[in-house]
Amino acid sequence: MRRLAILLLAVLCPLLAATNALAHKVNIFAYVEDGTVYTESYFPDGRKVQGGTVEVYDAAGKKLVSGTTNENGEFNFPLPKKEDLTIVIIASMGHKNTFVLKREEME
Amino acid sequence: MKYPATICFATIALLAAAAGNATAHFGLVLPSDDIIAQEDNTTITVAAKFLHPLERHYMEMERPKRFGVLHNGKTTDLGPKLTPAKGKSPDQTQEFTWWRTDYKIRRPGDYTFFLEPTPYWEPAEDKYIIHYTKVCVNALGLEAGWDEPVGLPTEIIPLTRPYGLWTGNLFSGQVLVDGKPAAGVEVEIEYLNESPGNIAVIQPPADPYVTQVVKTDANGVFHYAMPKAGWWGFAALTDAPWTITRDGAPKSVELGAVYWVRVRDMR
Repeated sequence: MRRLAILLLAVLCPLLAATNALAHKVNIFAYVEDGTVYTESYFPDGRKVQGGTVEVYDAAGKKLVSGTTNENGEFNFPLPKKEDLTIVIIASMGHKNTFVLKREEME
Repeated sequence: MKYPATICFATIALLAAAAGNATAHFGLVLPSDDIIAQEDNTTITVAAKFLHPLERHYMEMERPKRFGVLHNGKTTDLGPKLTPAKGKSPDQTQEFTWWRTDYKIRRPGDYTFFLEPTPYWEPAEDKYIIHYTKVCVNALGLEAGWDEPVGLPTEIIPLTRPYGLWTGNLFSGQVLVDGKPAAGVEVEIEYLNESPGNIAVIQPPADPYVTQVVKTDANGVFHYAMPKAGWWGFAALTDAPWTITRDGAPKSVELGAVYWVRVRDMR
């Protein structure tokens, strides 16, 4: 009986988690302060995207930086170039969004 | 000859009183947009007015006592940034002062703009009116903060997320006075006829249609389903336990907790 319960939990938990994540769009926001780019990745209700992949591309589409979000959904890096940067968050199950950090925000 | 003049004067006074009854005063805080996406202009304009929303009549607004924004638990004073502007309804002959400022959204999350006006003297009702007015702007996909109180003497806390509302949606709110739920309070509701994009100015078929009225339950909660796209104002009215002295006489003070939401057609 106990084994069955554990088995059921093992099957149901990922299902529940999947439903939750599907109901929420992933977002990324970025800003520059003193030469550092700060990014925050989050779901609409404020939950942070943990362990998500962040990729940074220049205007020509060349990948400049990549990294992983921490438990607060943050990933920070030195400003690699003073031009429009496209910052992509890739969360679990292919949830993806982009943020364009404009050159004029880098002053 | 003396009598007709008196009667005439009394009639005018009665009519004026009736008109005063039919029109409700509302504080208004109106942002140029209520949902800011990444591709939108992140600088919005926020207007502060005092008016009869359905009838579009403006009233003179002195420089507000306090105007600010609550974001991520932090309050920022925007009062000094307000600049005056003039406006009127098509059938008003005189122009009245309202206030505006630009505000740049810099972070994701909800921004609650709030206003404490200078007390407005209403001779027709022999009282002062103070409407503590709020509106919420959502930014960059993070829906957090809209249900946080600002800490005003009286305010509406939305129980319905106050943006992304369809026409016909039910809006629920809780009225707080001194931070406590206020039971049995009248909430006046009006449509803002000057709502941007309003294609047909509403002409009420009878006076009771101008202002809708609901009352709060034992927990200070009220509900209203909004029947038309545009901006809707909710004003929960209480009497202040204090007075303001005018020409040596104490005058009663109407306190309003006002909240504005935008509704869009489902199509």
